Amino acid sequence: MPPARAVLPLRRACGAIVGALALAAAGCASFQPPQPWEKGTLARPEMQFDPDPLEARIQQHIYTSKEAATGGYGVGGGGCGCN
Amino acid sequence: MAAIDPAARRKAAPAAPATGTRSSALLAAALALPGAIPAALAQTAPDAGVFELKYLDYRDWQPGADRMTVKSPSFYVLKPLSDTLALEAALVYDSMSGASPLYFNTLSGASGQGVTDYRTAGDVKVTRYFDGAAVSAGGAVSSERDYLSRAFSLDARVSTADRNRTYAFGFGGSADVINSVNGVAENQHRNTLEFMVGVTQALSADAIVQSNLTWSYGHGYYSDPYKPLDTRPDERRIFAWLTRYNRHLPDTDATLRLSYRFLHDSFGSTSNTLEAAWLQPLPAGWSAAPSIRYYTQSAASFYQNPPFPAGYSPGQFYTADTRLAAFGAFTVGVTLAKALPDGWSANLRLDFYRQRSDWRVGGDGSPDIEPFSARWILLGIAKTF
Repeated sequence: MPPARAVLPLRRACGAIVGALALAAAGCASFQPPQPWEKGTLARPEMQFDPDPLEARIQQHIYTSKEAATGGYGVGGGGCGCN
Repeated sequence: MAAIDPAARRKAAPAAPATGTRSSALLAAALALPGAIPAALAQTAPDAGVFELKYLDYRDWQPGADRMTVKSPSFYVLKPLSDTLALEAALVYDSMSGASPLYFNTLSGASGQGVTDYRTAGDVKVTRYFDGAAVSAGGAVSSERDYLSRAFSLDARVSTADRNRTYAFGFGGSADVINSVNGVAENQHRNTLEFMVGVTQALSADAIVQSNLTWSYGHGYYSDPYKPLDTRPDERRIFAWLTRYNRHLPDTDATLRLSYRFLHDSFGSTSNTLEAAWLQPLPAGWSAAPSIRYYTQSAASFYQNPPFPAGYSPGQFYTADTRLAAFGAFTVGVTLAKALPDGWSANLRLDFYRQRSDWRVGGDGSPDIEPFSARWILLGIAKTF
């Protein structure tokens, strides 16, 4: 195990997250969430984050089998012998 | 498995006239599965079912040598069971053949003996909808000749009263069994637990952002039994931070989709993934969506550079698997979709992928490994019912 090497990127990650949250908090002051009658665009399929679940599964399976990174898009997908 | 909430369809209906155009309606039908929308904000059961068939044709290669070919039909269905209950299920069958690396770029099939394998995977998910909330429970199985994985997931989503913000919580786990055909791994186990928290926020009538944090802890057999000397730690912790942003541009009726993932795992590898796609409606029910993805990773702490087996020491962790090397990768792709009568739609996606060690950002790429390329074609038809 490489604890010393693992800690530094995690610290960087936490720093990045804190920074992003700070930016998001700053942005909260200016963004204008929609009223109920303004949500037509947000309800369109292309505005969803996974409009085609089968395609998302296939793409993620391909990348997981060819790269070191795996995960981040949800929980409970299970493993495979591909990586 | 993504936290899928097939809910937004009903919500879309009363709200759509505000921006609804002929082209956007056609795009909606063609580019996505209208009933299968993961609801960023709505927590309402779908009022229509959908099924989709896809066929994947995948091929990869390195200079002078073809590697793997995969043919993979798949099926997805979403079925509303009642006003507050929906069922989703998917089935994938992979047929793989070709050559995969023994170490670095030396292929197992170079002697003329190809590798063949099959994988059958299925998952089921049930979602119960409440006022402003939804809870899902799912199960998944993936079976190969040498690998069996069983997984479960529990998801909960809760929206604020104005429905402009949704908090998501996920918990999942998997129990895997490995029995390699060469006898190196016999009845080896790997168990994993995953936790996720996330928030989705409507920024305006045209923009929405989602940010999820995922932690995963796994324990068991992680070595690759088909790679000589491959010896990996028996636990793996993964942290991932995924942020996605969708923005509709009224002037062109297009949608810009951006995503960024930071991931670090206890093998010592850190990666960054950036994706962008532009969805453009076209006349006559057509739409086109070009996309680009950039990925960069550092090497695992126990990855050793060529020549094989330099750096190997008995009892120490070791891998010569180039997937754990340092490299960068680009994917360029395009999706073409067409809305058809009676709720049918068809779509075709083409992707071209290349990995190169000198495309890494944030440090040097691993030396002396060949570029790796892949291309895949994904053909789909879908129908709402």
